[in-house]
Amino acid sequence: MRQNSVQLFFHVDLDAFFASVEMIDDPSLRGKPVIVGALPGHRGVVATCSYEARTCGIRSAMPISEAFRLCPSGVFTRPRMDRYSELSREVMGIFGEFTPDVTVVSIDEAFLTMTGTGRLWGCPADSAAELKSRVVSRTGLTVSVGVASNRYVAKTASGLSKPDGLTIVPEGGESDFMAAIPIARLWGAGEKTQERFRELGIDSIPKLRELGESLLVSIFGKSGGEFLYKASRGIDPGIYAGEAGSKSISTETTFERDVTDRETLESVLRGMADELAYRAYRENVRSRTCVLKLRTDDFSTSGRRVTARDYLLASDEIYEVALSLLDRRNDNLPVRLIGLGLVNLERGGAFQGELFGEDRTRRTKFERAVFGIQEKGIGKVTRARFIAGPADEER
Amino acid sequence: MKFTCEKNAFAREISLAQEIIASRNALSIMSNVYLEASDDGLLVRATDIKTGFETRLPVETVEPGSMTVFCDKLTVILANIPEGSLEFTESDSRVTVKPSFKKVRFQLKTISSEKFPELPEIEESRFFALPSRDFKDMIGQTFFAVSDDETRFFMNGVFMEKVEGGLAMVATDGRRLAYVRKQLETSIPDFKGIIVPPKILSLVLKHAPDEGPIEVAVGDKNLFVKFGNYSFSTVLIEGQFPNYQKVIPEHQVNRLVVNRQDLMDALKRVAIFVEQKSRRTFLALSEGVITLSSEESELGTAREEIPCRYSGPEATIALNYKYLEDPLRACSTQDVTIEFTEPNRAITVKPDPESFYFHIVMPMQLE
Repeated sequence: MRQNSVQLFFHVDLDAFFASVEMIDDPSLRGKPVIVGALPGHRGVVATCSYEARTCGIRSAMPISEAFRLCPSGVFTRPRMDRYSELSREVMGIFGEFTPDVTVVSIDEAFLTMTGTGRLWGCPADSAAELKSRVVSRTGLTVSVGVASNRYVAKTASGLSKPDGLTIVPEGGESDFMAAIPIARLWGAGEKTQERFRELGIDSIPKLRELGESLLVSIFGKSGGEFLYKASRGIDPGIYAGEAGSKSISTETTFERDVTDRETLESVLRGMADELAYRAYRENVRSRTCVLKLRTDDFSTSGRRVTARDYLLASDEIYEVALSLLDRRNDNLPVRLIGLGLVNLERGGAFQGELFGEDRTRRTKFERAVFGIQEKGIGKVTRARFIAGPADEER
Repeated sequence: MKFTCEKNAFAREISLAQEIIASRNALSIMSNVYLEASDDGLLVRATDIKTGFETRLPVETVEPGSMTVFCDKLTVILANIPEGSLEFTESDSRVTVKPSFKKVRFQLKTISSEKFPELPEIEESRFFALPSRDFKDMIGQTFFAVSDDETRFFMNGVFMEKVEGGLAMVATDGRRLAYVRKQLETSIPDFKGIIVPPKILSLVLKHAPDEGPIEVAVGDKNLFVKFGNYSFSTVLIEGQFPNYQKVIPEHQVNRLVVNRQDLMDALKRVAIFVEQKSRRTFLALSEGVITLSSEESELGTAREEIPCRYSGPEATIALNYKYLEDPLRACSTQDVTIEFTEPNRAITVKPDPESFYFHIVMPMQLE
C-alpha cells in the first residue's frame, strides 16, 4: 500500500461541552456539579453534566428528576443553545484549519478526515497536540481526540481518556487496540447487549471474537451480529457513512442508557430542532427535508425522512416534522441513538410568497428576530417552558 | 356465470375500469373488476375505495351470475386479441375467456364478488343536469392548481360551491389559485361547499362528451357524476377549504395586456435556463415591453423581450414560471391581462376580454 493512501481520521469530542461553557462564562461554577438541561420540577432530561456531576452518577438523557435526587446540591441550569452554537462554530472553525473535510456529527463532536495531511501537519501526534492546544487557547475548552485509520476506532479511542485526552491507534494496530479495551466500553453495545454478553460468559473482546460471524448473527440478528463482528476487530462497521458533509446539517445523541419513553425522545428532539433551526439560520441554508435517525438496542438503524412542501425554517416546524417521523416508528424497541438532520440544503435562493401564509411568515420572522437578539447578546430570549418556575426558586 | 360479448365494446369499458383501479396487487380484490351478467346485460364496477365506477353494456347472458377478476391481466388479454365475439365462462373460481374465432383460451382466477366493496349510492331525485361543456370548462380551469401536499389535504381537491345563478370552483396550492364561476340555466339544489378529489374530475374531463348534459348529485360524503352509460362517485375531502375570497385582490392598480401565445413561447425559451428547483423567472415591465429573464447560473442566462400594452411604472416581478404557464395554458383567448399592485403581492392573470375565470399567483422574492 502506498504511503499516501493510508486513511487517517480524528474523532474530536468536546468534553462535557455545555457544562464546560457554563464554567467558562461563570468561573464560580468550576469544580461544582453542573447539570445543563431541564430544571428540577419540570419535565425533561439532562443534556450535559460536568465531570463532577458524573461522579454522583448523573448521565446525559437521564430524567431531570432522577438527576436532582442523585445530586440535590448540583447547579441546574437551562441550556443556552445560542452560546453553545457560537462556541461550537468557533471550535469547528479551528478544525477547519487542519482539514477541509470536517464532518460535524453534533454540536460537540466531529470527525476530521486527516488523510494526506502529513506533509502539512507532521505526524498525527503533533497535529493532534496542535489541535488541542489551539482549541484550549482560543476558547478555553478542552477536547478529547481519538486518532485511527477508521472512524469507528477513532471514536472509540477518543472516549478512552476523557477529559482532555489523546489516544492514537497506529495503522495496523486497530485489532490489538480493540482487543485491549474492556468489553463494557465497546461503543455501540448498550445495556441489553452487555447483559447478553454476561449471559453468554463473554467478558472480553477476545472472547467475543471467538464467536464467528455466523454465530454472532444468529445471536444478535443480522445488523447486530455484523456490527459486533467488525467492531470487535477494529473494522469500521460503517455507521458514520451518512450524508455528505456540506449538503446537510445534523445532530445526534447516543444515550448512555437506552430510552424507552416517548417523552424523553420528544424532549431531546425539541432541543435538536432548536439547534438545527439556529445552525441553518447561521449558515444561511434552508431545507425542506428532515431526517430522523434512530438506532435501537438491536443495533438496527433506521433513517426516516420526509420532504415538506415548504422550507423548514422555524424550530417548531422542524420539531413537528420530527414528531411525525417519530410517529412512523413501527417498533417500540429501546432507543440507543437518536439523530435529527436537515438534508438537501439550499443556500440563499428564492422564496415563494404564500397566499394564505401570513401566520407562518410571522412565526419565522419572530424566531429569526430572536436569533438576531441572541447574536447581538442583548438580553436573553428563551422558550417559555425553559423559564424557571416557582418550583425552581426553592432550590 | 356465462356470457358472450363483442370484444371492442367490452375492452373499452374494461380499460376505463382499469383507470379507476389503483392497486396492482393481483391478490387484492381492489385490483379486480366486478362483472355481473343478467338479463339487463353486463354490469361492470371498479373502485379504488375513494372513486367508484359503474357501467352497463349489452351482452348475451347465457347463465346469470357475478364474479371479480384481475383487471390488469384482463386488459392485457383484451389488447392482444383481434375484434369479434368473446365467450366468458366462470366456474370453480376460474373464468375461461375464449374468442370465438381463434383457438386460444385464457383462464383467469376469480375472487368471489361478495367480497367486492359496496359503492356509495344516492337517490335518483338528487341529480341535477348541467351542460357537459360547462362542467368540463370549469374543471379545466381549476384542477391543475390543486395541491399535492398531503399535509394540506384540504387543498388536495377542487372546492365547488353553489353561487347565485350557478356554480363556482376554486383550487389552490397556497401559492396560486384558480377561480371559475359559471352561470347555469338549471336550478341547483342547495349544498354547502365541497372539496372534490381531482381524480374524478380528470376522469370527467377525459371521458365526458363535449355536447349534451351531465348529471351531478352532491351527497353528505360523496359526489356523483353520470353521463352516457357511466356513473362515477367519489368520497369528498373532509376539512375546511381556506377562505379564498380573502386572497383574491378586489382591485389591482397596474394592468398589462399581452398576446397569450407570445408570452407562452417566450416563457418556454427562458425556462431553458431557469433554475429547476425554484423555477424563478423575472418579468421586467416597462412601457410597451415585457422582458423575461432567468436567474444567472453557472450555465448562463436567457432573456427575451416581447411587446405588450402597458403604460404603468417600471417594475420587476419574480414568478415560478409554472404558475404563469399553467393559467396561460388554461386561458382560451388570444390576449391575456396581467394585473398587479406591487411586485411582491398577488397578481391576477385573466383572459382578455374578461370571461368567467381568472387566476391568482403569488410572486417570489426578488432578491
